[in-house]
Amino acid sequence: MRTGTVLSFVAAAALAACGGEVPAPKALVDARADYAKAKGGITLQLDPTDVHEADLALQKAESAWQSSQDPNDEHAIDQAIIAQRKAQIAMAEAAALKAQQELQQAKTELEATMSAQLQATRGQLDKTQRNLAQTQDQLQLTAAQAAEQKKQLADLEAKLKDARDTIAKIAAVKDDDRGMVITLQGEVLFKTGKWDLKPGAMAKLDQIADALRGKEQPMVVYGFTDNVGAVDMNMDLSQKRAQSVRDYLASKGIPGDLITAEGKGPAAPVAENTSVEGRAQNRRVEIVVKPKKS
Amino acid sequence: MRFAMIALVAAVTAACGSSFPPPNDEYSAGQADVGRAESGGAPGVPDAKLHLQLAQEDLQKSKGLMDNGDNKRAADLISVARVEAQLALSLAKQQQAEEQARKAQADVAKAKGGQ
Repeated sequence: MRTGTVLSFVAAAALAACGGEVPAPKALVDARADYAKAKGGITLQLDPTDVHEADLALQKAESAWQSSQDPNDEHAIDQAIIAQRKAQIAMAEAAALKAQQELQQAKTELEATMSAQLQATRGQLDKTQRNLAQTQDQLQLTAAQAAEQKKQLADLEAKLKDARDTIAKIAAVKDDDRGMVITLQGEVLFKTGKWDLKPGAMAKLDQIADALRGKEQPMVVYGFTDNVGAVDMNMDLSQKRAQSVRDYLASKGIPGDLITAEGKGPAAPVAENTSVEGRAQNRRVEIVVKPKKS
Repeated sequence: MRFAMIALVAAVTAACGSSFPPPNDEYSAGQADVGRAESGGAPGVPDAKLHLQLAQEDLQKSKGLMDNGDNKRAADLISVARVEAQLALSLAKQQQAEEQARKAQADVAKAKGGQ
């Protein structure tokens, strides 16, 4: 070691004498390089204090080297190592600061993203709640409407029953696939071969009109005859009798557009035409009250 | 006469060496720096671990130098040990901060991916 030092001095002296320059030790060269790196990058911007520390350490190392000019001088080498480490510390601290900034930025971004997502979810929740409330309102309304319709139907059925009971006192009433059928015998309504209503017929039809008024149900008045006489004549008579009844009912408050008349002649007999009683039964007027269309 | 000169030179040399006080405070500070690097996570980061080991070795050597009375050289070595330990801590901090940043950035990407 001592021999080496002596040789170093000799070499340095020889180089100095020849005007040459003694090359700096590797540690100092590395320290200079790392300091340049620290000063040139973002390290100076982020951690100027540690860069300044490195600068002072490098100056100290340079000074030690200038004093010794010995590449093996331990003190100068130590100073160079210290300077290099200080530069490396500055770079590491700056990198840590940069990472902390990125962490903060990411946290802020995450918070904003989560906040936006939360807001969107809240918006969707509000919308769903509004829709639910609307659906509940509609449901309540529908239930109320259904209850009202049910009540109206019950009222209607009750009125229809009342009407049926009333009519049953003055005429035969039955139900078939056409609806409620009110049958009035021809003799009660008309004189033989005539289609003008008898006064007594009007009183019965008044009661029927009273019972059916306000029901708003379509009606057809059918006229029927027995099989005595020409068919054409019977068809004409039955049509006129049906029309008389229809017109009378319309005059008593049954809406004209809901009631029609149709002559059937001897068709669809309800009894044999071979007897007086049977023919009397066949001479009739049927008022068919059709079911109300929903 | 020649012997007397040699004895004088030896005495002067010994006097100069012993005039430099033992760097006990610096040694303690070096130990504290090593402790901070250890608790700061340096043993878990390869680069930091290397510098931590260098710091420990230099401190150990400086102790031997102090025992032999070479206090000046010991002080230099302690200074080196301290910056090695400080660098170890800085590297550990850097690695931890970068890892946290990476994780947070991954969380952001995941959250955005889930939109």
